[in-house]
Amino acid sequence: MRSGALQTTLGWIGAAMVCVAQAATVAHHSFAAEFDDNKPVKVTGKLTSMRWSNPHGWIYVDVTGPDGKVVNWAFETSSVNALYRAGWRREDLPVGATLIIDGWQARNGTPTANAYSITFQDGKRLFAGSPAGAAGTPSTPPASK
Amino acid sequence: MRRSLLTLAALLALTAPAFAQTPIKRQPDGKPDISGMFAADHGGANYGLEKRAATNLTPGGRGLVIDPADGTLPMQPWARAENEARKLPERGYDDPTAHCFVAGVPRSVYAPSPFHILQPPGYVVLLFERMSWRQIPLDGRSHLPDSLRLWQGDSLGRWEGDTLVVETSNLNGKTWLDELGGVITHQAKVTERFIPVDGDTIRYEATVNDPGAYTRPWTIMMPLRRQNSELLEVACHEDNQDLGHLKDVRDAAREAAKKKP
Repeated sequence: MRSGALQTTLGWIGAAMVCVAQAATVAHHSFAAEFDDNKPVKVTGKLTSMRWSNPHGWIYVDVTGPDGKVVNWAFETSSVNALYRAGWRREDLPVGATLIIDGWQARNGTPTANAYSITFQDGKRLFAGSPAGAAGTPSTPPASK
Repeated sequence: MRRSLLTLAALLALTAPAFAQTPIKRQPDGKPDISGMFAADHGGANYGLEKRAATNLTPGGRGLVIDPADGTLPMQPWARAENEARKLPERGYDDPTAHCFVAGVPRSVYAPSPFHILQPPGYVVLLFERMSWRQIPLDGRSHLPDSLRLWQGDSLGRWEGDTLVVETSNLNGKTWLDELGGVITHQAKVTERFIPVDGDTIRYEATVNDPGAYTRPWTIMMPLRRQNSELLEVACHEDNQDLGHLKDVRDAAREAAKKKP
């Protein structure tokens, strides 16, 4: 197999893996009631922990602001059963990893958001099961804040 | 290049769903065997039964109402007003499933989680991944006394040809039909039809006759697809941080309302 063809094939495999990592939207409550469509957020931070808990997973990242102040943001994911079926595993998210996370901020104004996607430094991207990525719905990533 | 295309074709063949229809399986008595893991098509209908446009945080609704033909639920004026009020962010706290209560009937079937159908002798049992269940006897018994009200109601089943018909009454009227606050009262009687299409697909219909909230009975329809999966644990009460956030939104709206002249 020529190297170009190999790359093409690997590209298709990669595309299939990205699809696998797309968690289904599984919420037990209204995301639109808890989070604000008009408050897109996009942060770069260091992962401090991930809670594989029910009814939703939570990703915590330390984000350093322009003033040097560090704020620990909490990003909600789809339910952990949906993440697991989509291929997410604990080792995908090592503490200390630098992540770019986008989503929508909570209506209560706290540093809490519904996660849309997580991008690693190597460009790998996981989708967290935001309704924006739901089947049959145009996927609309949030704009940068 | 040809070889790489063949490799790609082989890969796709492994990952693509089987398009060939599988035959309906049969039990020893000849009735359909519909056991196994199923889920409502396209993530269910938790975001509303009527057709609606998508927003960033709420997927669009495909419109699942097949009767009335215009796809609009025939709500009484008070029910339409209540449904609209429940769409406000400050009412998100009121959805019973946000508190981890069971979803009720028919919502449990189209909540966005799979469920396992079992067919032990004399029953059909539905095990929902959100850790609730419905046991449906097929022995022709009568419904519970009208004084008993249950979250999942009292469901009785029978076979009409290859169709499993399930009639549910004794509902408590405390559930929502979906996250957008669809109304159902304790007067509702729900008739569900599980119609095997092939070995991996069930046509699901639910007719809701609820004179407490609607002007006439109405029917929804959606496919249920077999899942290559098993039930996982969803212990909803474990870490329900959302409830606190939703309460913040509700409390802020109440405070704002108090300050209005």
